[in-house]
Parts: sequence; structure tokens; C-alpha cells
Amino acid sequence: MEQYLQIIISGIAQGAVYSVFAFGLSLVYGIARVLNFAHGSFYMAGAYIAWILSVGYLDLGYPAVFAILVPALFAIGLVFERLVIRPLRSSRNWRMATMMVTLGFAFFLDNLSLILFGPQDKLLPPFVTGRLVLGGMVFSHHEVAIFAAAVAIVIALELFLYRTMIGSAMRAIAQDVQGARMVGIDTNQVSGYTFGLSVVLAGVAGVLLAPIYLISPLGGWPPFLKAFVIVVFGGLGSTRGVLYAALILGVVEALVIFELGATWIMPVWLLTLLVVLMVRPQGLLGVWGR
Amino acid sequence: MSFATDRAGRADTPPPRRSGGGVHLGIGLLIFAGLGLILESSYIFHVLILCFLWSIVVAGWDLVLGYAGIFNFAQLVFFAVGAYASGMLSISMGFHPIVALLIAAVVAGLFGLLIGLPCLRLRGEYVALFTFAVHLALPPLIIQGRALGTGGSTGLIGVPPLQAFGLTMHTVDKQAWYFLTLAAAALVLYAVYFRVLRGKLGKAFVAMRDAEDFARALGVNEYKHKLIAFILSATITGFAGALYAHYIGVVTPKILGNEFFLMVMLMLSVGGLGRFPGAILGAFAITIGNELLRDTGQYRLLLLGTCVVLVILLVPEGLPQLRERGARLFGRK
Repeated sequence: MEQYLQIIISGIAQGAVYSVFAFGLSLVYGIARVLNFAHGSFYMAGAYIAWILSVGYLDLGYPAVFAILVPALFAIGLVFERLVIRPLRSSRNWRMATMMVTLGFAFFLDNLSLILFGPQDKLLPPFVTGRLVLGGMVFSHHEVAIFAAAVAIVIALELFLYRTMIGSAMRAIAQDVQGARMVGIDTNQVSGYTFGLSVVLAGVAGVLLAPIYLISPLGGWPPFLKAFVIVVFGGLGSTRGVLYAALILGVVEALVIFELGATWIMPVWLLTLLVVLMVRPQGLLGVWGR
Repeated sequence: MSFATDRAGRADTPPPRRSGGGVHLGIGLLIFAGLGLILESSYIFHVLILCFLWSIVVAGWDLVLGYAGIFNFAQLVFFAVGAYASGMLSISMGFHPIVALLIAAVVAGLFGLLIGLPCLRLRGEYVALFTFAVHLALPPLIIQGRALGTGGSTGLIGVPPLQAFGLTMHTVDKQAWYFLTLAAAALVLYAVYFRVLRGKLGKAFVAMRDAEDFARALGVNEYKHKLIAFILSATITGFAGALYAHYIGVVTPKILGNEFFLMVMLMLSVGGLGRFPGAILGAFAITIGNELLRDTGQYRLLLLGTCVVLVILLVPEGLPQLRERGARLFGRK
């Protein structure tokens, strides 16, 4: 019994981090109208930058790493939107073009990491070492720390979206672009901020999970697919839906690993996606529709 | 613009286009047949054989992506299924290579049906994601499937050469392979661009692409036509995959790796979606360009990725757009 309880709690911790990553994908899809295939590569890029800043070269501690990493990621997102996404806004075939350009960019980033860092996995140290023993259950302090961090990020994001001007502008664009323009929202600028925020969320999630999953050039694809399943399951545009979906699927993943083994992770996620799309395509709490 | 048009969801589809004349295809066929008699370098034969095979794949993808407007990213899955099916049938089950080749095309078609059925219930980006997920999920399954005869990560080795009428076509028989693949490519291109797309199916696609609601109102059965396109595309792509397997003699999960995917994507972006003969010219340009870049080693994939981004940013509708821009520049039409 305690064993299952431990698995479920670990799954929830994992799911909380997935939700941070999935929010980034959901925001860009809902607000900038881009299915960003490079989202997983940004996740890896974040982890690689953190690796350079900490154990790789500069030996900084985690507070300093995040102090540099977050603005850097935001800038990357802004530049990416300005140089790669915005020029396509005048394209007649916008959806196809953005999908192909982000996919091409993802391959570019993956191969850049491969050339810069080689195929060997890199490891980030855990945020805090040590174990927490609760009855018969054992959790690493790192697990506790990333859960706390993920929850804090989710709360901050929710406050940002509902309590600030830019957050309201983002929600307005998500609901109705033309309406948002009419009330004087600069859609291009907000789209840029959205990309910045999305890359920050992706990169930070990459750093949170790197001590568990290691860093490798193609390591962003499994989380990317998981994030998409979460976003679809949760319902596009619903932060709470994404959170619930991430927690549920995090637990499911932990149970699958325990009962069937790690090779079944991706097939089960795909099956989940298929079932959700067939049964409830609007997701748990979708508000923006398909 | 797309911000404004996205809600309506229609204006992002390209306007109707005239297909290039069949003269192109005939002249191309004649030139390449003539070349096949003169050429001596087996390396050049090899590169051109690859061009022909990729033309088939790209034609299949163009049919689904460019004309039917389905965001399918699982095209190489069909290629891999065809290659693996033909290889496994002829190695472990002892089928005659030609029989294996034909069954493989059918198997790939069935795969198309299998993937197409759920896809056609979805819209837009969901299709892209689902098909790409299938693409990413297949290599682990192949590697796990050693017990089924997929050969695991080493792949299938020793796929037998094609043989008919006492003639055996080994990998080294470049000229024979050259003519076989040329004939196959010509046949497929003719069938896709001049039979299917000029026929009822093609007209239905153009109607659905340009005015979906109107086409539906006229009674165009979107679901049926798209499913047929999907299956057809999968079948011919699987056929190309099977040919590839018998030609090279080895099939590995690397087929589904980044390199092939980037190449095919680049072929389509360079050539332009749904603008025959753009995609075919793209296939030739990229296959040859990729061979020229062989020496750059690990930087090649980086270059390919960069090319995809740059081509889409600079000429979002493929290189044929350059000609139109040129014409506009000089005030001619």
C-alpha cells in the first residue's frame, strides 16, 4: 500500500513539472496561434545552458544559474518570435509554414547541441541532496524541491494571466484577435512576450527535470509529446485543465513504469492521446475550443 | 494577416493553381532514359536512383499535404513500413522479392488506412502532432520488435535483390536499377499528378482546399476523398520504401531518423506545396545537394535544418515563387 502511495506522490511531483512545460506550449498555441515543434528543443536548450553555467564550465550555484537563465531564455523567445515567427504572419499558408519552420528550427537546435556538447548525456546535480522519510515512504529532497517550485510557478502564472495588464492582453488575444486589436492591444508585441514566457517555462522545466532524466541532444522530444498530450487532455487555454491533466498523467506514467516498465511510457502516452481525441477532443476544461 | 484570418480559418489556404503541363514529365522521362544509356559512373547512377525514389515519396506527400491539405507528418512511417514489410517478408518468410514488394505496398496502404482513420476525425494541428508522434514512436517499437523479425537496432541485413525472368538485380547493377526506378517514378508521377489530381479526386481537393464549406454544401464527401488520398499516398510511399530496401539491401531504423525527415521536408519546402513539378524538382535538388554536402560530416544536418528555416522564411511557397517575383520585378506577367 505504502509502495503505491509513494508511486502516486512521485507521479504528482513529476506531473507538476510537466504542467509547467505544457503551459508554455499551450500559451503559444492559444495566443500566438503557433504549434511550436521547437518547444522540446527549448526545454533541452534550457538544461544545456544551466549545465554550462553550473557543473559544465562556470561552477555557479543554482540561484545564480536561474538569475542568468531566466532573462536569457526570455530573450531567446523574443528573438525567435521576431526573426522566425513574425515574418510568416503575412504568409498565405500560415499554419503549415509555422509548423514546418518550427520543426526545422527544432532539428537545427538538436544538431547544434549535438555538435556543441556531443552525444554523451550530461547530468545536472540535484538542487538539494538528501532524503525525506515519511513512514515507509522515501522521497529525495530534489523531488520535493521541484514539486514546490512547479507549484509556485503555476500559481505565479495564474496570477500573471488574471491580475496583470499583459496577462489580460494575452487572454484577450486568445479569445478574439480582432477584438483585442480594436481595444488597442499590440498583438505582435504580446505574441513576442508569449514566446519569451513560453521559452522560459520550457527551459526552467528542462532544468528541473535534468537531474532525473539527464540531458541529451534529442531528449526534448519525449517531453514535447507528453506536453502536447497534456495540453489536449486538459483543454486548450485552460490553465487549470492543463494542471489537472498533468497531475493525472504524471501519476499514470509513474504507475505504468512500476507495473509495465519504462519502455511502455511512450506507447501509453500515445494511446492516451488517441483516446482523448476520440472521446473528448475539447479536453477536460477546454475554453478556447478547437 | 494570419492573426486576422485565423479565426475564419479559411484564408490561410493557398489559392487554386494551374498544374504544369504533362510535357514536363514526358521530356524529363526522355532525357533521363537517354542519360541512362550514356552514363557510366555508377556513383551518378546511384544518386539519380535516389532522386527517382525520393520523387515518388515526395509526390505521395505532396498529394496529401499540398493537395488534400492534411497535415500529415508520418510520410516516412509509410516508407519505413514498406521497406520493413518487404524485407521481412522476403527474408524471414521466404516470399519471392517481387511478391514481397507488392504485398509491402499493400501493407503500407493498410497502415495508411490505420493512421488515416483517426487523423481525419481531427483537425489541423492535431493531425500534425498525432502523425509526428507516430513517426517518433515507431523506431523504439522497431528496436523492441526483434522477436518479430525487425532486426532490432541493427536492422534487416541481406534483403534479397529483385529478380524476374532469370534476371537478378543486385545493388551493383546500377543501370538496371536506374531504369527500373525511372520507370517506377514516371509511372507514379503520371498516376498522381495526371490521373488522380486531374480526376474527380483532385477537383474535390481543390474545392475543399479553397472553399471547404461551399464544397461540402455541393455534396463533396470530404472524408471519403481524404481517406482515399491518404491510403494512396501511403501505398506509393510504401512501394518506394520497398524498392529502396531491395536496392540498398539493408533496412535500419535510421530511415526514421532526422536526416531523411529533414531531406523530405526540405524537398517539399524548396519545391513548394501543391505546385507540380515543384516538389519533384525539390527532390532532385535536395538529393543532389545532400550528396555534395557529404563531406561536411556532422554539420550536414545542421545545414539541412537551417535550410528548412531559411527557405520557409524567405520563399514560403517554394522556389517557383522566385520566378513569379522575378517576373513582377521586371514588370512582365
